[in-house]
Amino acid sequence: MSVGSSYASSRLENNRMPDKFPVGMKVLLVDDDLTCLAVVKRMLLQCQYDVTTCSEAKRALSLLRENKGAFDMIISDVHMPDMDGFKLLELVGLEMDLPVIMMSGDTRFNVVMKGVSHGACDFLSKPVRMEELQNIWQHVVRRKWLDSKEIEHSGSVEEADHNRQVNDDSEYDSTLNDGTDGSWKYLKKKRDAKEDDDGDLDNVDPSSSKKPRVVWSVELHQQFVNAVNQLGIDKAVPKRILELMNVPGLTRENVASHLQKFRLYLKRLSGVAQHHTGLNNSLCGSSSNAKVGQLGRLDFQTLAVSGQIPPQTLAALQDELLGHPSHSFAMQTTNLPVPQQASVQGTNCVTFERGIAFGQPSLKGQAVSSLPVWSTNDPGSVGSASNLGRLNTQNNNMLVTMLQQPQPHTVTSDSNHAIKMQPSCLVDPRKSSSNFQVQGNPMLLNQDFVVPSQSSTNYQGGNTVVPAIQDSVVVTSQSSTSLRTGNNHFITNHRSTVFPSESLTGFSLGNDTGLLNQVSILPPSQTSNNFQAGTKSFHINQNSMVVPSQLSNTLQTEKSIMPVAVNYNPLPTQSDIMPSSMGQALDGGFENLAAVDSYSVSISMVPEALSSTGSSTSWQLHHPDVIIGRPHGSPCLVPNSCNVQATDTRLGKFPEKGQGRSLGFVGKGTCLPSRFAVDDIESPTNDLTNTGTYTGDDGYVLNQDIFGINGAFQSGHCATTSFK
Amino acid sequence: MLPLCSRVLLSHPFSPMSLMALREQLNMLVNSMYIEGLLDQQFQQLQMLQDASSPGFVAEVINLFCEDAERILTELTKDQAVVDFQKVDAYVHQLKGSSSSVGAQNVKLACIQFRQFCEENNKDGCLNALNVVKHHYYLLRNKFDTMLQLEQRIQAYDSKQQN
Repeated sequence: MSVGSSYASSRLENNRMPDKFPVGMKVLLVDDDLTCLAVVKRMLLQCQYDVTTCSEAKRALSLLRENKGAFDMIISDVHMPDMDGFKLLELVGLEMDLPVIMMSGDTRFNVVMKGVSHGACDFLSKPVRMEELQNIWQHVVRRKWLDSKEIEHSGSVEEADHNRQVNDDSEYDSTLNDGTDGSWKYLKKKRDAKEDDDGDLDNVDPSSSKKPRVVWSVELHQQFVNAVNQLGIDKAVPKRILELMNVPGLTRENVASHLQKFRLYLKRLSGVAQHHTGLNNSLCGSSSNAKVGQLGRLDFQTLAVSGQIPPQTLAALQDELLGHPSHSFAMQTTNLPVPQQASVQGTNCVTFERGIAFGQPSLKGQAVSSLPVWSTNDPGSVGSASNLGRLNTQNNNMLVTMLQQPQPHTVTSDSNHAIKMQPSCLVDPRKSSSNFQVQGNPMLLNQDFVVPSQSSTNYQGGNTVVPAIQDSVVVTSQSSTSLRTGNNHFITNHRSTVFPSESLTGFSLGNDTGLLNQVSILPPSQTSNNFQAGTKSFHINQNSMVVPSQLSNTLQTEKSIMPVAVNYNPLPTQSDIMPSSMGQALDGGFENLAAVDSYSVSISMVPEALSSTGSSTSWQLHHPDVIIGRPHGSPCLVPNSCNVQATDTRLGKFPEKGQGRSLGFVGKGTCLPSRFAVDDIESPTNDLTNTGTYTGDDGYVLNQDIFGINGAFQSGHCATTSFK
Repeated sequence: MLPLCSRVLLSHPFSPMSLMALREQLNMLVNSMYIEGLLDQQFQQLQMLQDASSPGFVAEVINLFCEDAERILTELTKDQAVVDFQKVDAYVHQLKGSSSSVGAQNVKLACIQFRQFCEENNKDGCLNALNVVKHHYYLLRNKFDTMLQLEQRIQAYDSKQQN
């Protein structure tokens, strides 16, 4: 019998933390059938119980008698040569009061009945299956409970804990109860020692009066986080949090302990943020689900609250989640203060939050995310924009940069956009003037989120910033400039919808900026300048629809179009946007683009537009009115531009006539600049085919898919050259 | 784990069979035993219980069973002139128990039949049933032997690889 060693080890089990129960529950297994003994023993071990085997009932009895408290329960066979199993059952019940489970291959009614009448807790039929053994711990617990309840009722009228303590001790002292499991005794002692502590025991302690355990559900946690955010993480005290949460039945203690965990979490995260590279590495190559799960939803919320996440970490995480390797992104280390609440100014670090409509509880929609994330919002459905179509990919849990606190009002203001996000977040820099302000060389990735803002600038990048908006819905309702990048910026809107509804400048690019809209919809309803490009800026709209609805020249397209606009102009003030059109010729004005395949976009250019200087424009256009390409392959006027060569390209019109700014939109082609850069004009063979994302010196990233036009554009490593 | 394909130990001293072939043979054997009713779902449980921490579990259980069974059969074969039905029944009950624990289906079913005859105090029936039980047992035992041999050889490969 393997008694000795297991008995010795069983002593140690007394010290095991009670909350690990039923792991380590001590079982005495009695059966004369060695085969069965071996099998059941293995199963019990698999259940992480502590097993002692005995093939003789008599031996088992002596074991029990010698070692009171050594076992939690007994499993015994019915038919045994030296002693009947039922007899053993009786004796154990009398002497030790331990739960006994009977086993037999014979499960006839009378046999089972006999077991019941002799006090067996349960009856297992052979062959015993693993599933049956997994729950046998309940018998131990039940017995303890019942015992303690009896004692409680018979005890004096004192405070419950004290009562239990006293009575339990006396109970244990009695010889009759000597068999009581020592581990339980130990448990009680420990608990007694902790009487002064917070009485909120999380352990499953059946002997104590059970306080209703608070389950921090998603909703509850969200309320908690909201409250904390509202108070400010530094000022959040349990009492106030409790008040704000206003959840009936929740106690201050519950909140306090939860807050403690939360704080630890935040601390851990900020430590994580410091080691962003490590984080990146750890993130790479793992499934997004796994990784996101690793952070946990709590993490995300915390991050949202505290937000000490450097952009590159964010980006990396986002990439990870998106499944897009972020190698193309230049990660820089910037640790910036966290934007709190409504003011986002000057923060380089973006809080990201996964999915929670942090700012918009009202925007919760259906959960799309595969992650156990809160944010469950529908893909943006903009009120007006039925054209919106599907913006987002559904299967990603995106890290989203999320800034703001929950605000009572909805996100998008005027354009009655009922924007909902996809499993990502709702960035709601509601009142900020600049929601995303990235200095240095951060990379901002927004995915699947809406940035409704009343701000003037939603994205404001400093030098060499590469904000990338992907699969997101960017709604700048009142902003004047929803996207603004400084020098060397590149904004990528990938499958995003940008709605600068009242904005003056939907996209404002400074020098060397590029705006890449792929499969995006940009309906600036009231913008005057939707796209403003500074020097050397270019816009690339691929498969995107630009619908300036209220512009003087409105574009109305039903389908996603690919506006190909020529980017030109060295001077910010130049204005003219030149959406190039395909198909129909445009006069100065814009025409409605209704046709699917061909749209005409007027291109008005300043004469000097598109002249490429050494460091300036990416385009070189020499016509004031340029029609760039046709969907059906007609070459565009842009030299060598085959952008518009896509057969199914549709160009959208860009508004912007007479706007102060000029915007250039390049049709497909990541390497737009290269294509049209001065240097490259002469080399039509520049390969514009997209070979993937690459970062130029300027740190912009052109996504691979962006330019999907049938090889119309070739990737241009030379892209960088066009932007200086 | 061995990359099976790339490590065909043709010159292995134990046998010319490759590891992959061995595994395949073992699988086929076990499958056939299931199909023919020699083994039932309980054996699957045993297979599942065997893991890295207890690599010899199945072999151990099989050995225990075989020892038990042969002991009982030996007892049952003695004294066939006078049949003590109760005693016989007790033995058969034991055999039934251990065979069910190991998943030896045919043997178990034969034991159930055997017990039936015992209850009826049917001596001839019992003697017949004993033969049936033996038949099934030795059939099973044969296959168990092959199975354990194969497993041994497979495990030898593994340990050889580790060395």
